[in-house]
Amino acid sequence: MAYRWGMAVDIDKCTGCEACVTACHAENNIPTVGAGQASRGRAMHWIRVERYYEGSFPDVRLKFRPVLCQQCDNAPCEAVCPTYAAHQNEDGLNAQVYNRCIGTRYCANACTYNVRFFNFFNPEWPKPLHLQLNPDVSIREVGVMEKCTFCVQRIKAAKTEATAAQRELVDGALQPACAQACPTTAIIFGDLNDPESRVARLARSPRGTKLLEDLGAEPKITYLQKQPWHEPDAY
Amino acid sequence: MDRRHFIKLTAITGTGAALTACGNPEHQLIRFIPEDDLVPGVATWKPTICPLCSAGCGVTARVMEGQAEVFRNGQPGVISMGLAKKLEGNPEDAISQGKLCARGQAAIQITYHPDRLANPRKRTGERGSGQFVDISWDEAIKELVGHLDALAAANSQASLALLTKPRRGRRLDLLAEWLRRFGAPAPVTFELFSDDVLRRANEISFGVAQLPTLDLEQAQYVVSFGADFLGAWNSPVAQSAAYGRMRQSRPGGRAKLVHADARLSQTAANADEFVAIKPGTEGVLALGLAHVIIANNLRPAAAAGRAGAAIDGWATGLTAFTPAAVEQRTGVAAARVERLAREFAAHPPAVALVAGPPLAQSNGLFTALAVNALNALAGSLNTPGGVSFVPQPRPAVATRDLSALLQEAAPKVLLIDDVNPVFASPASRQVAGALMRIPFIASFGSFVDETSALADLILPDHSFLESWVEAVPESGAAKAVPISAGPVMRPLYDTRPTIDVLLDVSRRLATPLAPALPNTFEEFLNREETAGVLRAGDSAPAGQAGAEAPALQYIAPQFDGDPTQFPYHFLPYASQALFDGSLAHLPWLQELPDPTTSAMWCSWIEINEHRAEELGIHQGDVIEVASAHGTVRAAAFLNPGLAPDAVAMPVGQGHTNFTRYATGIGVNPVAILAAAEVSGTTALAWSATRVKITRVGGPDDTLILFGGATRERPEETHGR
Repeated sequence: MAYRWGMAVDIDKCTGCEACVTACHAENNIPTVGAGQASRGRAMHWIRVERYYEGSFPDVRLKFRPVLCQQCDNAPCEAVCPTYAAHQNEDGLNAQVYNRCIGTRYCANACTYNVRFFNFFNPEWPKPLHLQLNPDVSIREVGVMEKCTFCVQRIKAAKTEATAAQRELVDGALQPACAQACPTTAIIFGDLNDPESRVARLARSPRGTKLLEDLGAEPKITYLQKQPWHEPDAY
Repeated sequence: MDRRHFIKLTAITGTGAALTACGNPEHQLIRFIPEDDLVPGVATWKPTICPLCSAGCGVTARVMEGQAEVFRNGQPGVISMGLAKKLEGNPEDAISQGKLCARGQAAIQITYHPDRLANPRKRTGERGSGQFVDISWDEAIKELVGHLDALAAANSQASLALLTKPRRGRRLDLLAEWLRRFGAPAPVTFELFSDDVLRRANEISFGVAQLPTLDLEQAQYVVSFGADFLGAWNSPVAQSAAYGRMRQSRPGGRAKLVHADARLSQTAANADEFVAIKPGTEGVLALGLAHVIIANNLRPAAAAGRAGAAIDGWATGLTAFTPAAVEQRTGVAAARVERLAREFAAHPPAVALVAGPPLAQSNGLFTALAVNALNALAGSLNTPGGVSFVPQPRPAVATRDLSALLQEAAPKVLLIDDVNPVFASPASRQVAGALMRIPFIASFGSFVDETSALADLILPDHSFLESWVEAVPESGAAKAVPISAGPVMRPLYDTRPTIDVLLDVSRRLATPLAPALPNTFEEFLNREETAGVLRAGDSAPAGQAGAEAPALQYIAPQFDGDPTQFPYHFLPYASQALFDGSLAHLPWLQELPDPTTSAMWCSWIEINEHRAEELGIHQGDVIEVASAHGTVRAAAFLNPGLAPDAVAMPVGQGHTNFTRYATGIGVNPVAILAAAEVSGTTALAWSATRVKITRVGGPDDTLILFGGATRERPEETHGR
């Protein structure tokens, strides 16, 4: 396995601004479903910002956490797919083959992180909104499950380019749309197989945790916890 | 000859043949030749500038070849052209630094909006009836020129008014100069969440009527008084980028962020310490901190200089602002005031910032002056880790505010440049009524909205991706420079850049404007860079810095509404997605879950969760908020982060006429605000209204949340 793509999300930097959410919509041709479908829980956001309130006013805290497909090594979604639409690819991504998917939704059921979204209808982009669509990403039809791909189209393009130029991929040059947009650089993407990559170093951080780690899905996203402020003298 | 050249040549030959055959209307031809720099399937990147707020972020548009249905001279056709596919921050831009906020990225949907106006229109029915008929540009310009000529003939050039957004830059400079040469008064600018109070305060304190740039990257201690600097205020991308570095990945460790507000906003949520404070008393807290610093000889009072002199009692050590007195007024415990002040003084560079709700109170100017004085006391003016002001190439042109349109001597001809004051003003200001009295209105926006629906003539603008754009960032980077960029793509429709239309009009008038202005905005930008078109004396600069005001005394905030009848503070806030409502027409932003509630496609009324319990209000119940000026009804959102004596609502929804994605969704909280002004300015005190709430009934299913419960309940995670 040449690459093993992973991510680190620094909760201490994330401000909950949701630039990543729009970036993901723009890059991956994710449809908007409108108020009616959204109220039935059918809105699609491959990446979302979760919010957790602690305490009550005036001693209240609110923490943000961006959640996307964790690209698990031991992915519960893959084992349940009857058509092998959900499978682990050679770079360790939980890939979804749209034209194998028959819409059983077993994978969404099995997913620990609620990051799989089902196309209940054919997506619509009233003209000329369709002109914004990214030609590098296929549109998913009704009955198909979709999810975060770590912007696999960007990964493929970068790999092809690197192969053509007979060089290695440079750490940090390849970014999914969410990481590229993030104003605070809270999202870091890279190759976990390269021990010197930024993401590999952050994955070893003492602040690092995995989401619902005890369930054993072995996610490839490390969340770096918020640090409390303390007097600098205390260091 | 390679294959590509062969195809090109045959296509050109074919085109030539077709041209001779049908007398040359370009639109009847299918273009076979892609634009020179475009290879199908291969992306190129072109620079442009985000138009959505005054930050002026440099943007890169990903452009790919595609087939677009276009209008040329009123005729539809399909052509192959370069199309913008995605907007990203420009890594070489000092403001965006390669990043872009959610709103900026969604700006591409303005260009491709299905309800965008494709050609000029003239009103046929009654004003506001929405009945328009398509007309040609020649007819439209003739009509506009006719009205302007009539003004000139009657020698009442002063009866022309132009309403635009308060975006500093060469475009506004040129508009102002256009008006001056015509003989009309200065442009009228309007924005609901304007920063006029802060600019005025900075002028008094520091002699610069400008928004500050915050060096968060190097600050060690930051106290924010209500400023939503990570959300929608000032230059959010630049501020967020600096915030990221302030948190991690810099030598010297992590800085502390303290945020004082009555509501846990998105920015407040990121603070290390949230200080709940009574609305309108933020200035008292700032002076309380200053008092402790001065009284304990941590910094000399004189260090604040001119900014300190603007505050009554500064020289004598602010004896009225002891921690005990501050506790009484603000609700912040005296010991905490003392501790915060000592921390602030002990961790230089320390910086304070203020914006948003505190400045939208009757005493907002005082609050801003108090925070400025605190900064000056801490020595954080023009120092690393403090506040500074980006040098501006030209002084800002003088502008007028909306009241110029609402007075008795209203203009006879009004030009509206993509502003929607009818939506974003309190109903009690009666903006629509005032516009109805203006004999002729021409609107230049790309959409029909509540304001342009009242126009007699609509001359739709190019989208920003189809135009020459420019920005002179007022804030956001230490060394921001004026930027400009050419069109990213060819226009889709029969639209024209507003500024080019006005330049065209200036030549077609019976008495053309003299001396003549450049023919196009592009020409203006080019000439301005080399020789300069506008001279220093052309349009009068805004109020001269240096006029020192008498020291201001603290006056308790005045709220509209009797507290016994209207027990709650009403706190509208700029929506992270829809801003002031001007972005409610973009579907990506409608479906963007709100950061603190996860709500989409709706309005909601935030109420403290415990107060709601006392009142028997549950999540999603329909409640009515009533001020002395009107009522709105929406679903309740039980917010753990809101003061019990306050009700909060996001601004942005409640459009009655603004494309298919915004019309009829939610309610507009601005409508029920009192038309009160911030004392000492003409800015709207949008946070100074009191309301009462009533439960109307159970859930009506309008509250659409993307997320589940707001609290983490580990015991439930296995029980799905």
